[in-house]
Amino acid sequence: MNINSNLKEENTYDAIVVGSGISGGWAAKELTEKGLKVLMLERGMNIEHIKDYESAMKNPWEFKHAGKLTEEQKRTHPVQTRDYPYNEATEKWWVNDLECPYTEDKRFDWYRGFHVGGKSLMWGRQSYRFSDHNFEDNAKDGHGNDWPIRYKDIAPWYDYAEKFAGISGQAENWPLLPDGVFLPPMDLNCVEKSVKERMEKHYNRTRILTIGRTANLTVPHNGRGSCQYRNLCSRGCPFGAYFSTQSATLPAAMATKRLTVRPYSIVNHIIYDKDTKKAKGVMVIDAETNETMEFYAKIVFVNGSTLGSTFILLNSTSEAHPEGLGNASGQLGHNLMDHHFRCGASGSAEGFEDKYTYGRRANGIYIPRYQNVSGDKRDYLRGFGYQGGASRNPWHEEVAELAFGGDFKDKMSLPADTWNMGLGGFGEMLPYYENKVYINHDKKDKWGQPVLAIDCEYKENEKKMRIDMMNDAAEMLEASGIKNVQTYDNDCYPGMAIHEMGTARMGNDPKTSVLNKWNQMHEVNNVFVTDGSCMPSIACQNPSLTFMALTARACDYAVKELNKGNI
Amino acid sequence: MDRRRAIKNLALVLGGVISATTVGILIKDIIIPDNENSNVSFSATDEELLAEFADIIIPTTKAAPGAKAAGLGAFIPMMIKECYPADLQQTFATGMKEMEEKCQEQYNKNFTALSPELRVKIMEELRTESLVDIKKPSFFILARDLTILGYFSSEIGCTQAREYLPVPGRYDGNADYKPGQKAWAT
Repeated sequence: MNINSNLKEENTYDAIVVGSGISGGWAAKELTEKGLKVLMLERGMNIEHIKDYESAMKNPWEFKHAGKLTEEQKRTHPVQTRDYPYNEATEKWWVNDLECPYTEDKRFDWYRGFHVGGKSLMWGRQSYRFSDHNFEDNAKDGHGNDWPIRYKDIAPWYDYAEKFAGISGQAENWPLLPDGVFLPPMDLNCVEKSVKERMEKHYNRTRILTIGRTANLTVPHNGRGSCQYRNLCSRGCPFGAYFSTQSATLPAAMATKRLTVRPYSIVNHIIYDKDTKKAKGVMVIDAETNETMEFYAKIVFVNGSTLGSTFILLNSTSEAHPEGLGNASGQLGHNLMDHHFRCGASGSAEGFEDKYTYGRRANGIYIPRYQNVSGDKRDYLRGFGYQGGASRNPWHEEVAELAFGGDFKDKMSLPADTWNMGLGGFGEMLPYYENKVYINHDKKDKWGQPVLAIDCEYKENEKKMRIDMMNDAAEMLEASGIKNVQTYDNDCYPGMAIHEMGTARMGNDPKTSVLNKWNQMHEVNNVFVTDGSCMPSIACQNPSLTFMALTARACDYAVKELNKGNI
Repeated sequence: MDRRRAIKNLALVLGGVISATTVGILIKDIIIPDNENSNVSFSATDEELLAEFADIIIPTTKAAPGAKAAGLGAFIPMMIKECYPADLQQTFATGMKEMEEKCQEQYNKNFTALSPELRVKIMEELRTESLVDIKKPSFFILARDLTILGYFSSEIGCTQAREYLPVPGRYDGNADYKPGQKAWAT
């Protein structure tokens, strides 16, 4: 390709960040604050903070379809409609599956949002640290490769990420869930408090219940407003009260005046220079015009979401990297994991008829993992935690099926006398080499790119764990005085937790891993991957806080190396 | 696990993204999207009928105006056309026609011309038929669920039947509940 030299200069930056979600936003912030001129590429549209959250302040009656999807939306979004997140109020955030298809060797629900901010706008905001148990499990039981870091390596970066992002929570001194730098916790409601007290007493505090640790501000923080308890986070927060690229990292990066954001820029591949053995830049397809162009930089941060980044790396083939960039180990695209959930138990709490809630708390309770530690031995490896909570029932069990009329209406206008308390397990999935993604050249997306094929399933360890996820929940609820406890398993397929991870794992050994302990490619030292693809195991905690910490840590290292002339 | 409980758990765990006011008819396990185009249409007379039908499901009471005032006569057919697959649109349209035929057969009048007592009687009959298999969509079930969904999302439903707090500003998980206090709208 002939590149006009002025254009080449214009298109050259110190660093390119591919993706603008949670980890991409952090990379842009850290790199610009350390003095680098950064280009952040986002494949979707621009979303301006507050102004573009069109549904955020709408009342329920301002939605034409009462929040439901039209047949046309179901037709264009066949994957996004498989579960709850895509609805009338949030439809803007979820991709048109017909434009960017993928193929499923086995069912995998791939939820994607293409816009500046990525999934930082739609995430669940639960923010938990990994513990040394999590960093050591692979080495101990032999599944997956050993993490190249331990808790002490990441702890200061958790502090750093939490201080900036603003995480509310309660310190508990629980070994499997290290405490962080917390804003004041949200309150447990009266039923949750009662369950906590009885449960912790029953198990002699070998199991604990705490308020969810969430990236919702309980007090104003770094110029952002505090949570207004509307529980409409999924529409984008006009108060900036939860962490997102738009509310937090993007303004910080923009303040340096060293950030350029280019929306509608699909990174097709990373350009490899065989002479320097480094990445030279990236090739981009303009999503609106289909025009291709190149951008150049000294370092490239790949933060396009786990499978997005993995696609780019697999698609970046060259003579030196015939199986994808930095894939001499053959691990790129393998070891795909996601949490398994959608099973647990719930029941009703009695004796709280004279209590109600005021405000809508966008948060629940958390029971951290307690299995397979301290003598609690199970017939499977690793473990699970619970999320859940209590609320006064909005409907009445005693109303007859298909009832109607004035009494029915008036009853439906009052809360029920009972409260419901539910616990839903979130289980760790082991890394399996055969759970993988690869490029399928038989199918093309709207822009003529080949698509990703996904071949991933839960196995015996996960299936066994699910039984305990139901039964332990029921046992704990019953021990806490909850009545009519029923277990459930609503079935789960990989992808549903939207915690896909692991396809470009870190490790000390270049023969068995793609990235080193700094999230730097073993083989191409100016490429860093700090989204979920880097994870050698996924624990059972929600992962985004770990992506933030790893990203900040990797940026610190990358800039130091750059300044030393090592990159 | 029954669908209600599934929705309840989802709403609980996932932070209320699924409206607790709906009985769940719009959940996908019974509504499989298809590619067929909308094939039913509704007249102004149909809208009148549906408004009256809805107003018996949720009538005006001392507490708040009912479904007709909340605009359900137009909401229900719009939802059927835009949010339901062709086979369920057909189920709905055919069932509505059959209800009219039933009214003609029994009373020689249209549904809207019947006295409120007779409308209730006809609807009790439809309810009894639907109760035989409540998982099988019928005109009665579809129209009833859309009435409940539409009403409790309407301005009247949210602000008069229930109480609506757009910006609570704080959370109290141990607030006193006074007997008769309305449910929060969302």
